[in-house]
Amino acid sequence: MTVEDEIEIMGQRLNDKIRNIFGRSLHIREVDAGSCNACEVEVNALSNPIYDIERFGLHIVASPRHADMLLVTGPVTRNMELALLKTYNATPSPKLVAAMGSCACNGGIFGDTYASCGGVDKIIPVDVYIPGCPPRPQAVIFGLMVALDKLEQKIRKKEV
Amino acid sequence: MLEILRKTIKAGCQTTKYPAVPDIAPEGFRGKPEISDKCTFCGDCIKVCPPGVIWFTEKSGEKTLSLSYCGCIFCGRCEEACGYGAIKLTQEYELASKTKEDLITSIRSKL
Repeated sequence: MTVEDEIEIMGQRLNDKIRNIFGRSLHIREVDAGSCNACEVEVNALSNPIYDIERFGLHIVASPRHADMLLVTGPVTRNMELALLKTYNATPSPKLVAAMGSCACNGGIFGDTYASCGGVDKIIPVDVYIPGCPPRPQAVIFGLMVALDKLEQKIRKKEV
Repeated sequence: MLEILRKTIKAGCQTTKYPAVPDIAPEGFRGKPEISDKCTFCGDCIKVCPPGVIWFTEKSGEKTLSLSYCGCIFCGRCEEACGYGAIKLTQEYELASKTKEDLITSIRSKL
């Protein structure tokens, strides 16, 4: 079996997974909650020809109302706290939240100060943590795959 | 038009085969830090860690040094500061996890 065949199979498997869960592709809304913009650069790199996440049916959209998943970067500054909460409420359920970068996971280098909340999980529930400063695009793809397993569990729990 | 076509054919397919084929990070990449048995619990790495994600606990004589990847900025200061070569940064980067507890590594002293 050649490498191309393997990719086809892998992509097909991921597509089936997404279709089973959502009935369509997964749409991601990226939220910058006070990040240093290194993570944003990596998110940009995800949709370039080299990493190209569109081939897996993952799309980055312009509104939380179109999205199934929030990709949050940054330690959540005081000014972005309410904005992040509003974005979370605007996303239709079932939804996923991924904390991308060390700042979003735990406050990172910014820590827990008067100006930053120190992590996304203090404001909204987080489903998957993607550490890295910033994470490589491959690490983000890996994180999204981990997140998709979680969503399957979430839906099953609701059904039970 | 022909020029563009020629360029496209010349460039070929640049997309990485990542999820199907493992992508090994380049030499010198700072990834997942790992603590080995050489650790003497001196606490030098705790002092130099900028985000402060390395900590030390002592419970009934058993010393534990823990490191959380959640919040680690992969700067490599701990590797530099360690005089015993106990902390090493590996090239592994696939760290995503569903819980914070999975992202903690620790080493215990032998009693």
